[in-house]
Amino acid sequence: MLKIDRATIKFGGLTAVNEVSFEVEDGAIFGLIGPNGAGKTTLFNIISGVYAPNSGSVWLQDEEITGLQPYQICNKGIARTYQNINLFQTLSVLENVKIGCHDKIKSGLLANILHTKSQRTEEKAVYEKCMELLKFVGLEQKAELVAKNLSYGEQRRLEIARAIATEPKMLLLDEPAAGMNSKEKMDLTELIRKINKRGMTILLVEHDMKLVMNITHEISVLNFGVKIAQGTPEEIQQNPDVIEAYLGGGLIGE
Amino acid sequence: MEGETEIALFIYKYYKTTRGEFKDMLLSLTISAIVIGSVYGLIALGYSLIYSASGLMTFCQGEILMFGAFIGLTFFRYLEWPFLIALLLTMLIMFVLGMLIERLLIRPILSRHATDIYIVLATIALGIVITNVAQQIWGTHAVQFPAIFGVDTINILGTMVQPEAFVCIFVGAFAMLGIHLFMNKMKFGTSMRAAAMSPMAARSVGINVDLTTGITWGMSCALAGVAGILLGPVQGVSISMGSTIGTKAFAAAVIGGYGNMYGAIIGGLIIGFTETFSAAYITSDYKDFITYGLLALCMVFLPRGILKGDVYDR
Repeated sequence: MLKIDRATIKFGGLTAVNEVSFEVEDGAIFGLIGPNGAGKTTLFNIISGVYAPNSGSVWLQDEEITGLQPYQICNKGIARTYQNINLFQTLSVLENVKIGCHDKIKSGLLANILHTKSQRTEEKAVYEKCMELLKFVGLEQKAELVAKNLSYGEQRRLEIARAIATEPKMLLLDEPAAGMNSKEKMDLTELIRKINKRGMTILLVEHDMKLVMNITHEISVLNFGVKIAQGTPEEIQQNPDVIEAYLGGGLIGE
Repeated sequence: MEGETEIALFIYKYYKTTRGEFKDMLLSLTISAIVIGSVYGLIALGYSLIYSASGLMTFCQGEILMFGAFIGLTFFRYLEWPFLIALLLTMLIMFVLGMLIERLLIRPILSRHATDIYIVLATIALGIVITNVAQQIWGTHAVQFPAIFGVDTINILGTMVQPEAFVCIFVGAFAMLGIHLFMNKMKFGTSMRAAAMSPMAARSVGINVDLTTGITWGMSCALAGVAGILLGPVQGVSISMGSTIGTKAFAAAVIGGYGNMYGAIIGGLIIGFTETFSAAYITSDYKDFITYGLLALCMVFLPRGILKGDVYDR
């Protein structure tokens, strides 16, 4: 599904991501872990087009997407969520998801002014699709609330619903469990599994080791911008380099 | 006996004429207030569009207006093309100019992570450049914009009105309606509003934010160009025509609610009416004093403007 080939990005003298390569299988839940500042979010930004890598390439289903703009990458079928939630704060929950559908809408100016039959059918279809997605993430009761009034965990789930609304092949989740309590984390684990069952490949950055070890099929470990290990959760837990990186960084309690 | 009748007749006549004049004056003042108000509204709309689409402030709308007026004048007076073609072509040129400003001036500055104040300074500098370019091309003399129609005045309920005033009101209303429909009924307009609300979120749902921002600048320059052409026949065209109008339209945008598009139009009309009526009934010496006084009062007591512009939310 997704292939990263020797991606490198430098900010001034700092090499934030150095020759990182890995491949995500179709339908997998792939984890990306590492201590703070290891370059996980930077790598996400390279994949989603926020940064262009200095060298190396990114491939989605045998098509090179290196250096495309974020909106182009979204249209190619990669959706993402952010570590710091990026919602349309003043719109309602439903409207946030509707914006996610905007790329598929066909009604033009005239149809919208005249409220033609096809426009109404489309509007209804979009509404139903969005309500289905809200139900899927467990927010159907909150559809009419303003997004900024949702709790933190709910905002994260809304961001996920909006990302799914763009009908991606692949979903990038950047620390979806950050700031969640243990109940919310359990719900989130369940939700990620459900999304994966819908047929979406998932790339996950997460600090919560229990969650990562629980749901991922494969994990890559980054440290100081370099990939130090890759394998199944069991293999990663036993890998001496990984233990060293976490213990050496004093970040085991993350 | 005869003398008394004469006096009564005189009083009646006097009464009738003054009342008639009063009515005439009110109507013609109202029309000129709407004309100048819709010009302010159009420019304020440009300020608000740019602010709501990118959170930036521009201070060269007045100069852009002047430039648009001269381009329109060139097409209409020197090349003698039909008015409608001159208007549409000017809009197109100003639109391209606006996109170029965003692409070649604003975006490079922003990509260097400059703070907003540098954008403000850059637009002020651009305003000076535009003024001087216009001076090189068209000179410093004020030029009369020829009448658009064959007739001088139209009689409306006994009041003589320049037909250009109606073009002004009509085009102003049409532009506002057009922008309203574009922003609310078209996919691209909706994308623009989304990009304005949260650029990051908009990018992640597949909206080309660079394009929407560029088009916003194009639209606001086209609006200023239209305002310039509309103002031409009413006030004449000169290189200094834009400076005070730009500032007053800025005041209009603030009073209406900076960043709110409907507020811009309302603010424009408020400034237009205040200015026209204070000049007519108080004294034209204090016209600007009263207009800017209103702005000062508004900023103290109603800082978000009448329609609660989003300037405070950022």
